[in-house]
Amino acid sequence: MSERIYAFLLRLYPSHFRLVYGDEALQLVRDRARHESPMRLWIDLLFDLVRALPRLHLHPAPIATRATAPAFLVLDSDAPRAASLFLGVVASLFLIFATIPIGHVLARGPAGSLRPRTAMQVAAQAPPQFTAADRHRLIQAAAANVKRYYFDKQVAETTASALLAHEQAGDYDAAAGQVFANLLARHLTEASRDRHFTMEYTARVFPDFSKPPPPQDQARYRAAMLEVNCAFEKVEIGMNHVGYVKLNAFPDIAACQEKAESAMAAVNHADALIFDLRDNRGGFPNMVVFLASYLFDHPEYMFNPKDPVTEQTWTRSPVAGSLLVDKPVYVLTSSRTYSGAEQFSYDLKMLKRATLVGETTGGASHSGVLHNLDDHFAIGIPEHKPVNPFSGKDWAVTGVEPDVKVKAADALATAEKLAETRLRRR
Amino acid sequence: MPKKKLSPLPSAAFQILLALAGEDLHGYAIMRQVKEQTAGRMRLGPGTLYSSIQALLEEKLIEQIEPVPTGERRRYYRLTSAGRKLARSEAERLADFLRAARAKRIFRGEYV
Repeated sequence: MSERIYAFLLRLYPSHFRLVYGDEALQLVRDRARHESPMRLWIDLLFDLVRALPRLHLHPAPIATRATAPAFLVLDSDAPRAASLFLGVVASLFLIFATIPIGHVLARGPAGSLRPRTAMQVAAQAPPQFTAADRHRLIQAAAANVKRYYFDKQVAETTASALLAHEQAGDYDAAAGQVFANLLARHLTEASRDRHFTMEYTARVFPDFSKPPPPQDQARYRAAMLEVNCAFEKVEIGMNHVGYVKLNAFPDIAACQEKAESAMAAVNHADALIFDLRDNRGGFPNMVVFLASYLFDHPEYMFNPKDPVTEQTWTRSPVAGSLLVDKPVYVLTSSRTYSGAEQFSYDLKMLKRATLVGETTGGASHSGVLHNLDDHFAIGIPEHKPVNPFSGKDWAVTGVEPDVKVKAADALATAEKLAETRLRRR
Repeated sequence: MPKKKLSPLPSAAFQILLALAGEDLHGYAIMRQVKEQTAGRMRLGPGTLYSSIQALLEEKLIEQIEPVPTGERRRYYRLTSAGRKLARSEAERLADFLRAARAKRIFRGEYV
């Protein structure tokens, strides 16, 4: 509810700000709504609105190269629409009435109380200038890569020309760094209607994505993974004979096969199994498939939007000695369950092999292959048309819906209850 | 030349720099950390938070973290060395004020 009203209020912000930070702002409201009382939240949100709006509207669009070039302060590029103005009036009136009685009850934040007066001390190390020529070069490179690698050549053409049209229209003027990358990403997904496009930026230097990571990186990864028990936080069988595996990432099989085998062996005798993926941000599809292999008595296709169908997209079932093939399985999800963890949840749900308990997942599908545009920018392009045997769409952006929708904090207790009820009935 | 957005450094921006001094965080985690370190007095709303983040990014005081293979939709932010330097000099300046205030004996009791 709060979220929907706030989405409406977001229209008051300048378009360049909305474009880049709109989703994140909404996510913040969503997160806060989960933990704060609506009254408190809305007082904060409205104060925030009147405090931030004038500042944002009086500043020009994202800039990185102002240091030396002469520049003009401009108001927002698009005039506020009538609806926006109306909303502004409503919000202001609400604020006036809301703040009169409660203004002096509220603890005064230090937001306005400290006004330091030092000059910025970082001007000395001004970054190299990002010029219109740089922007043009990157847009050209992005368009060329899309045309070269995107699987649908016709969509690739329209997407590439959309970028050039945005450039012509001046939509990227003065944008640099992350802001520029975010704008490009937005336009790529808009024009192609493919949510798997990404645009990445780093202030440092990207590695060459066309080469596999150097051996020292792989050794470091292996050591780091072993230090955290390959992300298996907890593996146990409870008094109720329900197995519990809390896994916080899907680490590379090359580093973690043994750990994964011993974890699955430890719960092999459970009567039901719970995978807790509430803090799992994803990882390697090979581990997703490896763990799922224990749950089937024949090979099953584990759909993953990134990869074309290969041998590795099928589970290696049956796994010798696995007693889990006919045991009920529950997967706990949260809004922070991402990527590979979403693949695990999605496929087990679609294969009707697990009951998902918790919240709708985060909706991250990193299915593009990264290509370097230069040292600082890289574009993620889907290279294969995902063949989804279950439905037209995967979990990109929208997330995976659980079967039993409860708050993430309540998911474990709910799943345990479901498992116990089901085991009693047998 | 237009006035820089971060001069003087607004206290919201300063608190965000402080929040990121400990670890890399995403927007909501920054908000929570700021709330904690100001004893609940500063609760950043989305407008203030992201306009500050945008300004800090532009001035290269923080940076957005490059993607990790595990992947996540939320953006994480990290303090740059310039950001750390600015936060330190700002804290030193506030400490100077504090010393001056202490010299004027405006505090009751012996604390600070």
